[in-house]
Amino acid sequence: MSPPPIQVQLRRHFAAAAERVFDAWLDPAMLRQWMMGPSVRDEVVLRVAVDARVGGTFSFFVRRGDLELDHVGTYLELSRPRRLVFTWAVQVGAAPLAAEDLSQVTLDFEARDNGCVLTLTHTMDVKWAEYARRTEAGWTTMLGGLDRVLSSEVPHG
Amino acid sequence: MVEHNAARLDDTFHALADPTRRAMLRSLSLHERSVGELAAPFQMSLAAASKHIKVLERAGLVRREVKGRTHVCRLDAAPLSDIQEWLRYYEQFWGERLDMLEALLRADTPTPPSAPTPRKKGRLR
Repeated sequence: MSPPPIQVQLRRHFAAAAERVFDAWLDPAMLRQWMMGPSVRDEVVLRVAVDARVGGTFSFFVRRGDLELDHVGTYLELSRPRRLVFTWAVQVGAAPLAAEDLSQVTLDFEARDNGCVLTLTHTMDVKWAEYARRTEAGWTTMLGGLDRVLSSEVPHG
Repeated sequence: MVEHNAARLDDTFHALADPTRRAMLRSLSLHERSVGELAAPFQMSLAAASKHIKVLERAGLVRREVKGRTHVCRLDAAPLSDIQEWLRYYEQFWGERLDMLEALLRADTPTPPSAPTPRKKGRLR
């Protein structure tokens, strides 16, 4: 038995076709309206660059006060309109990328009720998942707290 | 916030990445142990055990206290809460963005004259 990966999962119904929701993740003009920028939080968008193909990268570069943050990643799968997979990392200033670099976001779209359901799964750190697989059963019970953390789910069912 | 914890998170993962160190933590979760006691089950030198303990200390998972001639190690599970924090941060991060996207697409929805789009609150959480 492998312990569950460390992940955040959200599901959301959209009153829009899967194609439109899918495209909203790749269209720089759309991304500026909902992913980054003043409509989401107090920040200025300096650059949104999207190279939407497998192996292509993206960069959502913003300034928050004195802090410059680049949200970067590589597209791993683009199966419009069913599935979109990319890596996700946040780079602060010139700091080298760290543990979170290896996080991965998977979007699954399913047509439903005049719209679609999007399931977003953000999995943390491939390195970590590897250790977890190697160690098999046992280690989740190593510490009560860790077990709870690992099986943590979005609290709203 | 989360960004600043990245280095510490790295240390935590690194510390937990090794079976010997995980076994040491398991042992410490029962009660405190000396360095010698921690080393004993692994047939390793005190120096080798000490190296592992240093990694655990660096991650803040183990506190070492010198009692006379003995070094006593104790578990501190607090760093594991960083992982919890990561989860909470991204739960909120994506939740806010999906809210925005939902609102944007709703505002943007072209309403076909014959078949109006049902304005249904569609959150499945």
